[in-house]
Amino acid sequence: MMSSETLLEAQDLTVRYPEGEVALYKVSFSVKAPSFMAIIGPNGSGKSTLLKTVLGLLRPTQGSVRLLGYDSVRDGASIRRMVRYVPQRDRIELSVPIKVKDIVLMGRLLKKRPPRIASRRDKKIAREALERVDMDGFWDHPFNELSGGQRQRVLVARALAGEGPVLMLDEPLAGTDAESQRLIVQVLGEYHRESGVNVVMVTHDLNPIHSLVNDVLLLKRSVVGLGRPCDVMDPALLTQLYGPSARVVEYAGHRYCVTRDTGVDRHD
Amino acid sequence: MIDSIVSFLATPIVTRAIIGAILIAVVASTSGTILVFRGLSFMTSGVAHAALGGAALGLYLQYTGIAPWFDPILGALTFSTVVAVITGYAGESGIAQKMEVAVGVSFALSMSIAVFLMYYIPPTQVPQIWGYLIGDILLLDNLDIVLLSGTAVLLVVLFIVFHKEFIYVSVDMEGSIAHGLNARAYHYLMLIASSLAIALATKAVGAILVYAIMVAPAAASNEVFRSVRGVVLSVFVIAIISEMAGLAASFTVNASPSAIAGIIAAMSYVVAMQIRKFRERASILAAGELEESGSSTASAVGSDVLVDEAL
Repeated sequence: MMSSETLLEAQDLTVRYPEGEVALYKVSFSVKAPSFMAIIGPNGSGKSTLLKTVLGLLRPTQGSVRLLGYDSVRDGASIRRMVRYVPQRDRIELSVPIKVKDIVLMGRLLKKRPPRIASRRDKKIAREALERVDMDGFWDHPFNELSGGQRQRVLVARALAGEGPVLMLDEPLAGTDAESQRLIVQVLGEYHRESGVNVVMVTHDLNPIHSLVNDVLLLKRSVVGLGRPCDVMDPALLTQLYGPSARVVEYAGHRYCVTRDTGVDRHD
Repeated sequence: MIDSIVSFLATPIVTRAIIGAILIAVVASTSGTILVFRGLSFMTSGVAHAALGGAALGLYLQYTGIAPWFDPILGALTFSTVVAVITGYAGESGIAQKMEVAVGVSFALSMSIAVFLMYYIPPTQVPQIWGYLIGDILLLDNLDIVLLSGTAVLLVVLFIVFHKEFIYVSVDMEGSIAHGLNARAYHYLMLIASSLAIALATKAVGAILVYAIMVAPAAASNEVFRSVRGVVLSVFVIAIISEMAGLAASFTVNASPSAIAGIIAAMSYVVAMQIRKFRERASILAAGELEESGSSTASAVGSDVLVDEAL
């Protein structure tokens, strides 16, 4: 099947919010599977909107987007069976005193039928996922008492514990400590290599992951560029994306992008 | 002495009041807990007052002969469900502000409808409407008990079967939908079941007691307890203690049971806030001590470096 070899394919995708704001305009691109793919761009560039549209959480105003050959509108149910999704951390409500184990098991139990009982195997896989992100000591710990970076690691573990050929993460490195950032990047890279599971990651900073990713999509409402990390580390492209303050520096054989966005989560 | 207590407790009024108190505590520990988790506890007040407006409409339709079959409780259930659905729709996106406006507007609308219709209802029936507001747990009749039992059983069954879904929807609506959960269906199931329970409880014991018992114990428990099970059990215990204290006060010093129960339930929240503050202070102290010992080692390392450089 031809279509199943394409991880993500958008054709003239336009998404308008109910308030009338155009978040994505005539976005067209195609990325082959399997891939570790990054979607980068400044804040408000439509990165998260693209993920949510793929998942069927938002409907395209025009055009279409397909994940492994499945249309976001027509085959929403199939897409939701394939995807393990990590939303932006601040979308998780902290007023509920849920345990770390319940968050991680959620990744598996959501794809079961009620009453969604966790089997011994589910628990084993959940524990292993927590071990990978170095959070196995927090099994019975309340999720809302963890630090930002620890919470993010638990959410990544939830995705690792789940099943399905695509992992989608929305800003998993935003506002996390350096150690968590390093760990998350390393774990995702290893997991992608071992299992061949596709990873689609939205981020405003390519630097921590640029040695891991296969494809980078530069997005600013429309597609600014698409290519391998080294190709998109191009001053002309990055200036177009981030503005005139963007610089590219070379260090130890790698190119790094320096923008006002680097390092810290920028929400302006 | 014991004989007289037993025979007192066995009088129908007292028995019904105690059963009613237990049933309200069950409603609070299931529905109240879920609404606090969902950030929708303010909805309780909107729904309870909507029941009052609905009951007034029911009485009006009955006594003007427009719809003699329309029992006030039907009006109460309908109004409450409509308010729950409207608030749920506003709160679906998780924006608390929208939800507060929705509750505020439906609150004002249902109270206005109630007051407006009161002029057209025979004065002898007006106290029945005010009963929805102030109520009295000592005036429960058998029908109240049957209806309350029904809704309490329904809530407990729903909670046992779907508590994971309710919690997933409260914790991570977006992620739940993305993983294939029909989150909206559970969101509304939760709200409609709660609104029916709140309306029936309002008819039985009045909006003021319902609000006090549904919101304060759940909010208090959520400040202190660190697991869902802990919160649910604690809400039940706080609700029962408040209500029993209210009943005891009404028998001994002739006070309103609803008022005493409401005051005790509200106090539980104040106490919970203090416990939480105390805990936070303790953890800050502990962290400070840790940091102190950490910085002393750091300065020790720093002085080593200085020594090295000097050498």
